[in-house]
Amino acid sequence: MFRDIKDYLLVTSYILKCIIKKDLPHEDDDMVEMQKLKVLVYEDYIDAVVRSLGHAGIVQFIDMREKPEDWEEVLVPHKGSNETIAKYSGLLSKIEAAFETLHIKPEDFPTPEIPITKEPTQKVLAAVEQKLAELPIEEAKIYALASRIDQIIDDLGIKPEQFDKENKLAQSEEMELEHIEFELIEIDKTIETTGLSNHPVLVERILAKHFDDLDEIGKKFAELSKFVIDSERYFGKRLVTLKKTVESIIGTIKTGINFEEIREDLLTLWTIAKEEKRIAEEKGKFVRSSKTVFFEAWVPESLEKEAVERIKNASDGNFIISDEFPDLDENVPILIKECPSYLQAFGKLECAYGRPSSGDIDPLRIFAITFPILFGIMFADVGQGAIFVIAGVIFTLLRRKGKLAKGGDIIQYLLISGEMLIYIGFSAIFFGFIFGEFFGPSGVLHPITLAQIGPFQIGGFEPTQEPMKMLKFAILVGAIHITIGLILRFLNELRHKHYKLAPIPICWIWLIFGSLFMWAYWGGISNISLWFAEGSLMLGGLIILPLMLIFVFVAVAEGFMVGVGFTVEVFAETLSHTMSYSRLMALGLIHSAMNYLFLVLGGVEHGVFPLQSIPLIAIGTILVLIIEGLVVFVHTLRLHWVEWFSTFHSGEGIPFKPFEST
Amino acid sequence: MDPSLVSLIGLAISIGIPILSAAVTIIICGTALAGIGTEKPELLSRLIITVVLGEALAIYGLLIAFMLLGKLPDITTMESANKALISGIIISVATVSAGAGISYSGSSLIAATAERPETFSSNVIGVVLSEALAIYGLLISFMVIGQI
Repeated sequence: MFRDIKDYLLVTSYILKCIIKKDLPHEDDDMVEMQKLKVLVYEDYIDAVVRSLGHAGIVQFIDMREKPEDWEEVLVPHKGSNETIAKYSGLLSKIEAAFETLHIKPEDFPTPEIPITKEPTQKVLAAVEQKLAELPIEEAKIYALASRIDQIIDDLGIKPEQFDKENKLAQSEEMELEHIEFELIEIDKTIETTGLSNHPVLVERILAKHFDDLDEIGKKFAELSKFVIDSERYFGKRLVTLKKTVESIIGTIKTGINFEEIREDLLTLWTIAKEEKRIAEEKGKFVRSSKTVFFEAWVPESLEKEAVERIKNASDGNFIISDEFPDLDENVPILIKECPSYLQAFGKLECAYGRPSSGDIDPLRIFAITFPILFGIMFADVGQGAIFVIAGVIFTLLRRKGKLAKGGDIIQYLLISGEMLIYIGFSAIFFGFIFGEFFGPSGVLHPITLAQIGPFQIGGFEPTQEPMKMLKFAILVGAIHITIGLILRFLNELRHKHYKLAPIPICWIWLIFGSLFMWAYWGGISNISLWFAEGSLMLGGLIILPLMLIFVFVAVAEGFMVGVGFTVEVFAETLSHTMSYSRLMALGLIHSAMNYLFLVLGGVEHGVFPLQSIPLIAIGTILVLIIEGLVVFVHTLRLHWVEWFSTFHSGEGIPFKPFEST
Repeated sequence: MDPSLVSLIGLAISIGIPILSAAVTIIICGTALAGIGTEKPELLSRLIITVVLGEALAIYGLLIAFMLLGKLPDITTMESANKALISGIIISVATVSAGAGISYSGSSLIAATAERPETFSSNVIGVVLSEALAIYGLLISFMVIGQI
């Protein structure tokens, strides 16, 4: 006996340690350590340092302007970057104008690899400007035209040799460049409006076939396609002519220009300018003295070594660095982890409210259990639950196979929530058995009693027949749900080492269950006068004492007035949040009543479904599934977002967004 | 007055006025939502909560009306007829006030979220607490019907 207790204590303490401490072997994976780097760099090297870190994308710079009290007596904001940003913007628009002249769409080409220099950004700027000025963009225009004509010919699947003999329009050798360009634009437009580029295969097929073999529809189709073919012939002719003209003009130019090379150069310059501009913008977050620049950055612990190494290399050792653990109360960015796909829908619902702060327990898995339970209580029905399960399975399979990936918004939502539909469907089936509902209170099933705790009966009654029992059940569920939230709050306080505040959730749980006990023991709220007469001792122990304790703990930790305010808040929240769970009863009853309406209309009695009732019940089920499903879903969400999350989940976590220059 | 007439008036009030307040709430929040949807459609799935909570007001009225409907054959005395009437009035007043709360804080929530999405989690409190007002009315109304 003694040994058992000892083992039990050992295991419990170990589990608690695992939850509280982070460095035990079975550490909770949700806890990702962030380090705060404080770096002082000689100003000539700051650009190289930021460039090197930006290439790796491993740190998130902290905006120093947000906390001027930390530095304003010694340092000044890093100025001078505005001018650089403006210069780079000008440069970028010049490069983009060159792209336009040469008809290059930069997004069509892969980003070129650019070397990491250690030069300050001013020198890079000068180099880029010089290089751009040297590029023979005007001269390259004709090559751009040639490559574009080639591309159109390619796109349309035109074979130039087909038109060689028909080409008698070769007199336009002197045609000026502008005319060619104008004509190309015309051709482009026509191709776009007729959708010609989609037809090369079709045209080829029709050209190859004899029309006589075709049936009626085929002939009509062929007639329609005639326009396409005609225009293709026309364009083919024009394009081949243009190509020849351009080639002959190119032949007259002596200097050899490699168009591909110019394009590559332009793309490289464009990438460099964009990167440098981003670096200049990022530097606005730093502060400086006359010769040095100071910045702070978040870095995941695993990447710290690499970050330090990069700073060291980029600055040739001209730096001072210190790393420190963030304060427990600091809002440290959190690394976003991929949700497992079976919890994806719940992850989205949680993130819509806000992410957990750094160091808090991520409630996702508990959320994924309580959400279906609350939904099931309100939507208790074996038949409709089964429909949910089937729909969920179908959506999940479709998503796993990657079908309907291009469907609209609503389809995407349904696909994502596939697994969630399965969970809530099973929950609805479970509570359907407990409350005896099969497409409404049809009498097919009989309610099953699970347990009886004092006046709280779990299952074994039909909600529409005995609403008061349902109300008590709903309140009990609410109390348990809030208690789970308070336990999480307790663990969070421990993890943040707020030992003075940690007892508050425990007292709060005491208060909730104390009031629940009082309510049950003295026969409901209507006998409240007894609470103050015979039950005054009990009232003191179960309600007033925990409230006093909460007041004392908060007052000691945060001051007298905060204590008063918080105690009043606790009292009000205990009442209103628990009462709010009575919507479990209200919506459960409505669900049952709406189904009952269709059962009565269809003439269902004592569990016998006559044949003519089936269509009516089908309509009713669809209505209930859509309207009631949505309302119940939102209410479940609301119970979690407001009543549950407010006890422990701040939703203030900021995702870690490393600075990436490329 | 005739008990059956009084109880029928109670029934009519209990379904009619909650539906009206739900309609007004949906009109106000729904138009705001449509406006924001053109600017930032990614927020719609979160903000739809305002419209659905408005719709729930009508459902509370429906619940009370259903329960009164079930009690109609038992109402023979003036006393129970009065209870039916009063329960209808309670749910009406509760849903009207909840509707006012949701309309005002809901449309402001929608506008505020469009500007700064991170304020959603604190601003949504106003909407859901307004909606809780209807639940309190529902509970009391429900208990009054229980005594018929």
